[in-house]
Amino acid sequence: MITTLEEKPHIPAAPRKRKVPGWAVAMLGVAGAIALLSITSMQTGFPQLTSSGTTQTAVRLALPILLAGLGGLWAERAGVVNIGLEGMMIMGTWGAAWAGYQWGPWAALVAAVVFGSLGGLLHAVATVTFGVNHIVSGVAINLLGAGLTKYLSTLIFLPLSSNPRQSPPVQSFDTFSAAGLGDWLGELEAGQLLFISDVAGILRGLVTGVSPLTMIAILLLPLSYFLLWRTRFGLRLRSVGENPHAADSLGVKVYFHKYVAVIVSGGLAGLGGAALVLNPGQLSYLEGQTGGRGYIGLAAMIFGNWRPGGLLGGAALFGYADGLQLRSGGETVLALVYGVVLLLGVIVVWQLIRRKWFSAAAAIFVAVLMYLLYISLDEIPSEFVSYAPHMVTLAVLAVASQRLRMPAADGLVYRRG
Amino acid sequence: MSSSTSVGTDEHPAVVLTGITKRFPGVVANSDVHLTVRRGEVHALCGENGAGKSTLMKILYGMQPPDEGTIEVNGEQVRFRTPSDAIKAGIGMVHQHFMLADNLTVQENVVLGAEALHGIGKKARARIIELSGRTGLNVDPGVLVEQLGVADRQRVEILKVLYRGAKVIILDEPTAVLVPQEVNELFDTVRGMQEQGYTFLFISHKLDEVRAIADSVTVIRRGTTVGSADPKTVSSRQLAEMMVGSELPSPETRESTVTDKVMLDVRGLTLKTPDGSRAILEDVDLVVRSGEVVGIAGVEGNGQTELVETIMGMRKAGSGTITLLDKDLTKLGTLGRREAGIGYIPEDRHRHGLLLTQPLWYNRILGYQTRKPTAKGIWLDTDGAKKDTERIVADFDVRTPGIDVPAAALSGGNQQKLVVGRELSGDPVLLIASHPTRGVDVGAQALIWDEIKRARAAGLAVLLISADLDELIGLSDTIKVMLRGRLVADADPSTVTPEDLGSAMTGAGSTSAAVQETAVVEEGEN
Repeated sequence: MITTLEEKPHIPAAPRKRKVPGWAVAMLGVAGAIALLSITSMQTGFPQLTSSGTTQTAVRLALPILLAGLGGLWAERAGVVNIGLEGMMIMGTWGAAWAGYQWGPWAALVAAVVFGSLGGLLHAVATVTFGVNHIVSGVAINLLGAGLTKYLSTLIFLPLSSNPRQSPPVQSFDTFSAAGLGDWLGELEAGQLLFISDVAGILRGLVTGVSPLTMIAILLLPLSYFLLWRTRFGLRLRSVGENPHAADSLGVKVYFHKYVAVIVSGGLAGLGGAALVLNPGQLSYLEGQTGGRGYIGLAAMIFGNWRPGGLLGGAALFGYADGLQLRSGGETVLALVYGVVLLLGVIVVWQLIRRKWFSAAAAIFVAVLMYLLYISLDEIPSEFVSYAPHMVTLAVLAVASQRLRMPAADGLVYRRG
Repeated sequence: MSSSTSVGTDEHPAVVLTGITKRFPGVVANSDVHLTVRRGEVHALCGENGAGKSTLMKILYGMQPPDEGTIEVNGEQVRFRTPSDAIKAGIGMVHQHFMLADNLTVQENVVLGAEALHGIGKKARARIIELSGRTGLNVDPGVLVEQLGVADRQRVEILKVLYRGAKVIILDEPTAVLVPQEVNELFDTVRGMQEQGYTFLFISHKLDEVRAIADSVTVIRRGTTVGSADPKTVSSRQLAEMMVGSELPSPETRESTVTDKVMLDVRGLTLKTPDGSRAILEDVDLVVRSGEVVGIAGVEGNGQTELVETIMGMRKAGSGTITLLDKDLTKLGTLGRREAGIGYIPEDRHRHGLLLTQPLWYNRILGYQTRKPTAKGIWLDTDGAKKDTERIVADFDVRTPGIDVPAAALSGGNQQKLVVGRELSGDPVLLIASHPTRGVDVGAQALIWDEIKRARAAGLAVLLISADLDELIGLSDTIKVMLRGRLVADADPSTVTPEDLGSAMTGAGSTSAAVQETAVVEEGEN
């Protein structure tokens, strides 16, 4: 009984689950978010929600988070959990300030990347070569980053700025604005037309006061995607994060790819630190400047389901929450609560259509709670407002963590043989 | 590509291993192994678990260097340092445990490490589709591997090997994870590829399969090759004797100790896959009486593991009741069920039975953390645990330098004796033994059989799951056959032969009077 199998090049009909392409989903999401903000700002009477100023601040604040998140993406796609992003970011801030006050902003960027990479290298040596638990090593690097920069600041910055917690001022980048386009968008924004003014405000924020660092960060996102998903190197790096034993059995150098990924991760986190130092608002190193943004970057990456596109969404969300509270204070943040109620309303309808009764009930409950909060307060207490991004992080992770897919071997120590 | 389809004797053999010896600290895994695989044949390598088959294949695939001996491929002597060297020489390996990344697509899994051949884009995709037909894989290369079933994953593994241009393919226990129809499909694929000139090294301890697929058989025992056989003339019994040597211990128990007292009563047990799409267990009724050994026969993957884990409370049943000595266990957790009097020898002692890095006495506490002698009130009683571990070591002949060594320091047989000793402590009323002698040496096997027989004579009810049909027939008072999640037939162990049981297990039906099909409505499956 011998069955002959001919070679038949056939393309079988594959059951494709995803019918809508990813970019379309993203566009829909962006449009939905703008519509939501637009309605909220109209209902509550706070045009700041979509003003160009808020957007500009949001972009500035989202940059460090985006870069830290990208760093997390690189490391975790290769299977190394990088909770040490915060420490690497701190090292980046110090490096940026140290090089920046002496040789200008471009040197600041390079130094930040180098300092962050050193942190990444340390993490790689500990986790990959010595098999230290990734969290333990990461926390150690966070402590080390904070301690080391404190020591170095006292040693080097104190004589110059007579403040051990601050560096001398750093020269900033020249920023670019699309002048003609910006003016036209400004007119539209001032017109107070529903939706159109909101879109114009957001676009104007995006094209005004753009620094080279912003462009670099925005370009790093598609570049990372291309490298990780469209090249041989990226395939190998991701395979190491999914199943290192399989990768090893196919001749992939597991340790090498992990090292590269974690060092790049550190460099990106360091660059995120530079984005903080070169922020037009302060332009110097400050102790405690990162304020947990490394962790928020990690959260943005998790929110983005370990994908660059989602990561951008997460970073934008956290940057926006941060920018809003910084620019406009408690009243507008309260308006955002109203927006959340609207969003929950949409979710309730969606869950009802899908007949997920429990989820719908939970969403209704939270929506009522938020609405009560909204009508009973005049503004969010200022002590609380500065924690808006952290609260958003918490809420988003609690909801989103249900259906996330992390790399299968993420956080596992790999030993050959 | 060579168009030769006949088994070539005039050419150089595809692979020749001469005098291969491999030592690990304290053990000789292979000693003086000789193996000749002719081009275009399916060559089976048979041996018990732990006989050294896997080590030998790792040597041939370049994962470990031999201490002595030579490897020849197509008449040329080679030396493999890494699997890449073996791949270059045209040798590919399909591992028993799949080496696939679930979250990557089929295409990504196949091209990984071999990107230099056709890149990772359209050209690679075209080549994969071209090769897919040979392996019977019928999915789009863009599908994630996690969406594939076990048989398709295995095809992806074969595809990986083909993509790299292998002509000699090592299949390491390929049927262990497959259900019978899938085994047949795999064999069809293997025969088809053999016609196209591929050579297979088929590693198995399932003698029926070996005789069905192989052109020649080499038997390996205790690390060395003990002989070759022609699968067309040799019987399974003869092969088995070559595999274990002449001293075949017998699991036979003859005087019945079965009583009327029902210990375990399972009714209408149903279990679905986590997504609820398919039933793993369907309406299982099972009674085990005091002094009775009930054996469950079945090809792996037909629900035996799940049945045991559902009775133990490790999986949550969809419906049905489980009663032990008139006590309803259905709502209890695993610990509660153990406390009610179930001893459990898990099928994989490393995953479920032991903490390998912990000392023996610590392992004694596992599962007994609420009971004497290993606990006093809310505190663990380490002294009691140590004392009782000493008892187990003495009574069950666990060969160990002491009770403070980690469990990993023991050989498989001694680990298993420790597990059996632990599970027979604490006066169980029911023992669930899942493959109790899998991968243990003959001495440990005999001891474990004796202990099960003794406990049975003392009135213990035993539920035995085993892939070793001789063990199952020898020990059991009643045998039930499990197929696709249902108990489909009863067999009388005093008259049934392994062959009858085997055909009942594959659903082929049996003409033997010893096997009676239970009334089950089969749906229109082919």
